[in-house]
Amino acid sequence: MSRFLFPRWSNLLLPTIILAAATIPVYAIFFVAYGLSPKTLEVGYQPEQPVPFSHALHAGELGMDCRYCHTSVEKAAHASVPATQTCMNCHTQIRPESPKLAKLKDSYATGLPVEWTRIHKLPDFAFFDHSAHVNRGVGCVECHGRVDKMEVVYQKSPLSMGWCLECHRNPDSVLRPTGEITNLAFDAATELSAEERKALKDKFHINPSEDCSTCHR
Amino acid sequence: MIPMPPRWMLFTGVLAALALAVPPFVIARVRATPDPNRAVHIFFDMDFQPKFKPQTVNPLFADGRSQRPAVLGTVARGEDNLDTHLNDGVVNGAWAETLPAGLEMTREFLERGQQRYNIHCSVCHGYAGYGDGTVNKRAMELMSSSEGPANGTSWVQAKSLHDPVVREHRLGMLYNVATNGIRNMAGYGTQIDLNDRWAIAAYVKALQLSQNASMQDVPPELRDNLKKEVK
Repeated sequence: MSRFLFPRWSNLLLPTIILAAATIPVYAIFFVAYGLSPKTLEVGYQPEQPVPFSHALHAGELGMDCRYCHTSVEKAAHASVPATQTCMNCHTQIRPESPKLAKLKDSYATGLPVEWTRIHKLPDFAFFDHSAHVNRGVGCVECHGRVDKMEVVYQKSPLSMGWCLECHRNPDSVLRPTGEITNLAFDAATELSAEERKALKDKFHINPSEDCSTCHR
Repeated sequence: MIPMPPRWMLFTGVLAALALAVPPFVIARVRATPDPNRAVHIFFDMDFQPKFKPQTVNPLFADGRSQRPAVLGTVARGEDNLDTHLNDGVVNGAWAETLPAGLEMTREFLERGQQRYNIHCSVCHGYAGYGDGTVNKRAMELMSSSEGPANGTSWVQAKSLHDPVVREHRLGMLYNVATNGIRNMAGYGTQIDLNDRWAIAAYVKALQLSQNASMQDVPPELRDNLKKEVK
């Protein structure tokens, strides 16, 4: 039995291993940071809803205010999904026989809610209050995007902690007058000067906390 | 010439390097396209806790609601709704002409009414109250469609608030209509807060005045200003 000798090409293994050791950790970091980021996993969630409600038509073309339906947004932490009655304010008379509205009609007849699929969902250990934001100059569009242009609503923002902190560390950039809260076309960054936004920050006494217990309470 | 490793080894190596190039493309594609399914949760942490939040599902109840509707025939504390002026807009059997106790006709109150009117009423009645809101316009278009009203649409032109009959309505009646609806109009009692419905009624009165005013209604010292503006 002869002795085992490494073949000559095995000299190539050393540079190959060094190359792999240098690139694979970088690759792994990239993979986790880019691939497992909420910007990849959470953004773009666009479930099919039981009733094909178009925000582009109602909030966009018809120009209905967000608060016509989401009535609790200025008073509570939760921005409520409207009751079937809200839809039926008009739809008892507008296209009541449309097959698209069949589930709405059922709900109106039985009294059981339409089972809309929730899109924006924070983890249960995070506290968020809509009213605290919309009453102090943070418009709907800052987090939800141009819903008035969405035929089917999708999640625009990652809703990650880092994303929350971006604004909490630099609130000036997203403030607008309270009259423009639901105006999704209003772009605070271009329509207000830095001084005006600073003035809003003072007016609303905005001093956003970055303490853990602000949101994890 | 450097001695090369066996072909199968080279082949595997190149294939592995190519495989590494696939995930970035997949990730970029996931980022750019909407997804009808929620992301898979690998680490649950405490994301989903066994508690009920507003408008969530509670399987313990037959209707599945975690928010319980009021039991039929019960009255919540402080909600007896027995004050006919405040709750119905009626005083001694007639429509109230004043605001109920506790509400004051101030500029702030009217501005609140204007804001709420623009949110809830303008969609049909229009910002100036002429019954020309966007929903009304669209519904009227559906009614006059050449193939007949689509999907059973049966819309009646929204009332102009400057109609001589509507102008005569008392404050209490306007409040009551906002609350309980009238004819084809649905009631907004569950959608708009009580104080806001009074504010809306007050604003509608102001709106009616503004559209049916004469120069005599303008304070003398402001008349010149107005004349300039109109020109």
